[in-house]
Amino acid sequence: MVNPQPALAIKLGKLELAYPTLMGSGCYGSGEEFAPFVDLSKIGAIVLKSVTRLPRLGNPTPRLVQTPAGMLNAIGLQNPGIEWYLEHELHKYAGRPCKIVGSIAGFEIDDYAYVCERLAARDEIEAIELNVSCPNVAQEGETFGCDPDLTARVVEAARATTNKTLIVKLSPNVTDIVAVARQAENSGADALAVINTVRGMAIDVETWRPRLGNITGGLSGPAIRPIAVLAVYEIAQVVSIPIVGQGGIETLADALEFFLAGATAISIGTANFTDPRIPERLVAELQAYLTRRNIGSIQEIVGRAHVEIATAHQYEGDEG
Amino acid sequence: MIGMTMLDLRPRVAATTILERRELADGVILLTLHAPELADATQPGQYLMAIPPSGEAAATALAVYEAEGKRASILFFVTGKRTRELANLACGDQLDVVGPLGNGFDCSGDADDVAIVAGGVGIASVWLCARELLRRGAHVRLFYGARTAELLVETQRFADAGCELVLATDDGTRGERGFVTDALVGARKPEAIYACGPSPMLRRVGEIANGFGVRAQLSLEETFGCGVGGCWGCVVPLTNASAQAPNFPPAERGGSDVVYARICKEGPVFWAHELRW
Ligand SMILES: Cc1cc2nc3c(=O)[nH]c(=O)nc-3n(C[C@H](O)[C@H](O)[C@H](O)COP(=O)(O)OP(=O)(O)OC[C@H]3O[C@@H](n4cnc5c(N)ncnc54)[C@H](O)[C@@H]3O)c2cc1C
Ligand SMILES: Cc1cc2nc3c(=O)[nH]c(=O)nc-3n(C[C@H](O)[C@H](O)[C@H](O)COP(=O)(O)O)c2cc1C
Ligand code: FES
Repeated sequence: MVNPQPALAIKLGKLELAYPTLMGSGCYGSGEEFAPFVDLSKIGAIVLKSVTRLPRLGNPTPRLVQTPAGMLNAIGLQNPGIEWYLEHELHKYAGRPCKIVGSIAGFEIDDYAYVCERLAARDEIEAIELNVSCPNVAQEGETFGCDPDLTARVVEAARATTNKTLIVKLSPNVTDIVAVARQAENSGADALAVINTVRGMAIDVETWRPRLGNITGGLSGPAIRPIAVLAVYEIAQVVSIPIVGQGGIETLADALEFFLAGATAISIGTANFTDPRIPERLVAELQAYLTRRNIGSIQEIVGRAHVEIATAHQYEGDEG
Repeated sequence: MIGMTMLDLRPRVAATTILERRELADGVILLTLHAPELADATQPGQYLMAIPPSGEAAATALAVYEAEGKRASILFFVTGKRTRELANLACGDQLDVVGPLGNGFDCSGDADDVAIVAGGVGIASVWLCARELLRRGAHVRLFYGARTAELLVETQRFADAGCELVLATDDGTRGERGFVTDALVGARKPEAIYACGPSPMLRRVGEIANGFGVRAQLSLEETFGCGVGGCWGCVVPLTNASAQAPNFPPAERGGSDVVYARICKEGPVFWAHELRW
């Protein structure tokens, strides 16, 4: 089949996508939910909701709170567990008009390896994303993705089980995201997803109680976009594997920011909740942009915003 | 419709035009939309997601209040940023919506004497249900409560259609003083109950239905994300044995007796006796 828009085609490791747009894990179900009114063939890939070794009921309600320019979520990784998932869910994803990326979460290193091996063995799944923003029960609940070495061990364990493209999704809730990115690359990641949600909370001033059932949650949407752009920009300087940029992408300008910062592809999550037509519109607008600027491929603009500070009179570590 | 397989009336994104805008009370808006496909496809108790014209917030879940011919309407209270934006729309403006969505009320069956219980803006979800029940010849009592008289909107429409009204207000300015559920407890036992309103009211309706020994269908509300089943943000605990329970292993397979179902997808209407909230 002839690729209709070669200018937008990209690769993440072995994963070839017709469009550089992925639908964020946990935001798009399995695609089925959006299929009645979205042309899935105009989407690069859907990243499925993270699945775990054992079933998880998920968090108490409320699980969502609208906040300025975004939202907080605390879903709690509700999912039926890998066995049930393989048996009852996965077959539905066969024959989707876009690529399907599985997402894995875990609470022990071994969980990642176990689930990755089983999931990656299935034909419906073309790549695996590792969601490392989970607490490690063996280490007093420290988040895997907050520690470069723990991240490395998760990636190595998963890497050993599959040759399919492995995307590691980084948490922004760290002091040095670049160090984690570097370790993920060294441990065998084929691509990095940057960033997952930013921790936050909201309080109901009527009842004096946290507004989320889980108390804390993850912030997404335009509110986190500058944080995400910076993370992509800095990580792109030290890794050579592709980056899937995400965090509040809604418009063409938002998408371009991520490509220019160094992302090879973009992921759209929360924007689908505003208007499900956004992914299709973005692809059309990206195509028109390239044509208008006479650019042959989206890949030509990746990382083009990287510049040196001309006059370095800023003191280090403070942009204030 | 609950208890039945989903009809193949697929939701779509529709560009609608505002034909009429009425302020029914301070901060209570009724927008009538030119939306032929939506009006055609909507079943009682279904809702739509209104895409904010500014693009600056998540879409808002709103019941399809009225659907007739080429027109559908929404009725809402201005409670925040998104409903304020919708309230500022004028005749002729375009409003894009996704819908119809969700599994609404099952109005079939042979109950001749039914009670509909509405609290506040819950009235928006029950008009199509009342109309359907009246059409099939049922006697419909509408138990309708609000904070104050002014906020008891659209009562004439229900009365004209043939509903018997039992009204209540918190401050006693119209109907009985107190909760509408207090009126329901003391009333003649209905054969079936339909309800939409704030969660505390719905819980009470569930208890009352249980006391009466009749089945109740409750239309639930929760903060929505996607509104179409993709994010699991809008859930309510339900017995895993329910026909509406999502795909989840039962307890004997390492799962659970109670599971969270999506209000937007499996609901918004659930059987009261199947909820575990
Ligand atoms: C299936 C379904 C159908 C619905 N149908 C209708 C309908 O027909 N008509 C209708 O009017 N509504 C309906 N709703 C409810 C409507 O979607 C919500 O009220 C929506 O949140 C309004 O958005 P908003 O941005 O205007 O208000 P929001 O800003 O989301 O506020 C909603 C509520 O939260 C409270 N709130 C906001 N911020 C805070 C804070 N910081 N602390 C404490 N409380 C806060 C507000 O006071 C308000 O009561 C429906 C909901 C569902 C799920
Ligand atoms: C409701 C919701 C659920 C999410 N669930 C997951 C998840 O299960 N696994 C995961 O890796 N990321 C999850 N995310 C994070 C998103 O995939 C995405 O990385 C993040 O929201 C930032 O992008 P956005 O601003 O475009 O949404 C979730 C986000 C939201 C809003
Ligand atoms: S709002 Fe997303 S699943 Fe219901």
